[in-house]
Amino acid sequence: MVILLSLKNCFQLHYGLKIPAAGFRCSANTGLIIQSVSSDIYQNLAVEDWVHDNMTLEDRHVLFMWRNSPTVVIGRHQNPWQECNLKIMREKNIKLARRRSGGGTVYHDLGNINLTFFTSKKKYERMENLKLVVRALKALRPQFDVRATERYDLLLNGNFKISGTAAKLGRTVAYHHCTLLCNADRFLLSSVLKSPYKGIKSNATPSMPALVKNLFEEDPSLTCEIVMDAIAAEYARCHKIDHCITLINPGDETVFPGINMKTKELQTWDWIYGKTPKFSIRTCFNMVYKQSLLEVKVDIQVKHGRIEACNIDLPEQWLPPAMCSELEKNLTGSKLCPSETAALASTLLRVCPQNYELHSKWSLLCETVMTLM
Amino acid sequence: MALRALRRVAVSLAPRCPGRGGPFPSARSAWPQAAPARSLGTSALLFSARKFTDKHEWISVENGIGTVGISNFAQEALGDVVYCSLPEIGTKLNKQDEFGALESVKAASELYSPLTGEVTEINTALADNPGLVNKSCYEDGWLIKMTVDNPSELNELMNEDAYEKYIKSIED
Repeated sequence: MVILLSLKNCFQLHYGLKIPAAGFRCSANTGLIIQSVSSDIYQNLAVEDWVHDNMTLEDRHVLFMWRNSPTVVIGRHQNPWQECNLKIMREKNIKLARRRSGGGTVYHDLGNINLTFFTSKKKYERMENLKLVVRALKALRPQFDVRATERYDLLLNGNFKISGTAAKLGRTVAYHHCTLLCNADRFLLSSVLKSPYKGIKSNATPSMPALVKNLFEEDPSLTCEIVMDAIAAEYARCHKIDHCITLINPGDETVFPGINMKTKELQTWDWIYGKTPKFSIRTCFNMVYKQSLLEVKVDIQVKHGRIEACNIDLPEQWLPPAMCSELEKNLTGSKLCPSETAALASTLLRVCPQNYELHSKWSLLCETVMTLM
Repeated sequence: MALRALRRVAVSLAPRCPGRGGPFPSARSAWPQAAPARSLGTSALLFSARKFTDKHEWISVENGIGTVGISNFAQEALGDVVYCSLPEIGTKLNKQDEFGALESVKAASELYSPLTGEVTEINTALADNPGLVNKSCYEDGWLIKMTVDNPSELNELMNEDAYEKYIKSIED
């Protein structure tokens, strides 16, 4: 039976683990199961950072369960332009986050469960954690064909990915986290995890696309709550601890001193986009202007998410060369960001001759360049 | 085991590649131009044999510049490195500051600065060939070079023998 506890009734989390059994109503000396009440990706990632930075887990383990509102999460060294459709994400208000662990890009919504297994570095063992999840699922539905692969994915029926894994090794603490698709929006997932951006050359770590499925599609009676409870039960059994889940509020500074600063850092442009490894965009566009097709060649170098150098090749005399080089000059140093480029473009427009044809050509060019972002 | 094998190989290779940072002290003394191994003091600014941190980074100092990498034990534990995230030149680091990360098939793993100093060079070869960290962790797979602002910090690091003992103790 699940006992949900509010952390307000217990001592602060880190004391609870440093002093065995102090304050907690469950036996926290070897393990602890916590579940976030927040569905904000940045707050939940901050919990991982907090545990990683503040806890020593010599002989102890923590399981953290969390779910998020629609978000795309990229790995530590990935390129969001290469991994997802930022345009659709902006339109549908889907957040973008960069986690601190490695691995590939995933889509989260409330139909996806995230599990983080915290251990000491020595006890870091991804396969054991995944086997635990498989056991939990099989205990729920013995007929399920779920297994772990060498890549640390979980497959349903041999070929549908229901879980992906990533991990981080810190000073003393390690964590392995994974997703679990219960009832996520698969169609939205496919459309946001497909990058429309062409011509990107990058040494960022790539994702490996896979066919996915929800557990719910195998058995509609399964909900996230049922699955989380089953996993908690199996974790409690393995670590010989009480089956109780402590609810945590990732915004609570009294329980997690310093966590709000971590949350803020994860939301900054510099972290999310600026941490993208250096890359280049080299591509050709076709622009349609007054029934003629025009070819535009673009060569942009991007470092820390900002345009380091840019070259735009237009058909001769289509636009005064001075205007084109003004655009290139002003783009250099600015963020690879459509709203910043739009602002830049309209500022430049104000200082150029008031000529309708020129303005419409300029707008077309800028809009075209913005589609790269 | 791997460390001992490396030493035998390094000794035989040393005479063919003079002037490179890396080989063990015993090999160095065979070179005509090599400075003899010195005790730490003001002369530590000039030269120090390879030292190790408990986080498995190594640093060797030549002409006041330290070359930093990860040990063979670390690269084996990490698995195939797929990405190296290194700092900008000019970054100031305190001892034990995080200066970057290595992503391998196993996990993303932080890198910690062995000493206090400023980054003077980064190994750009790792951008296209991160596997160098696995293939040649003491030579071509070096990560950064940095100034040595507090030479006395070198005293706090382990020499090769001490490091080998340390690895044995944690491998239990």
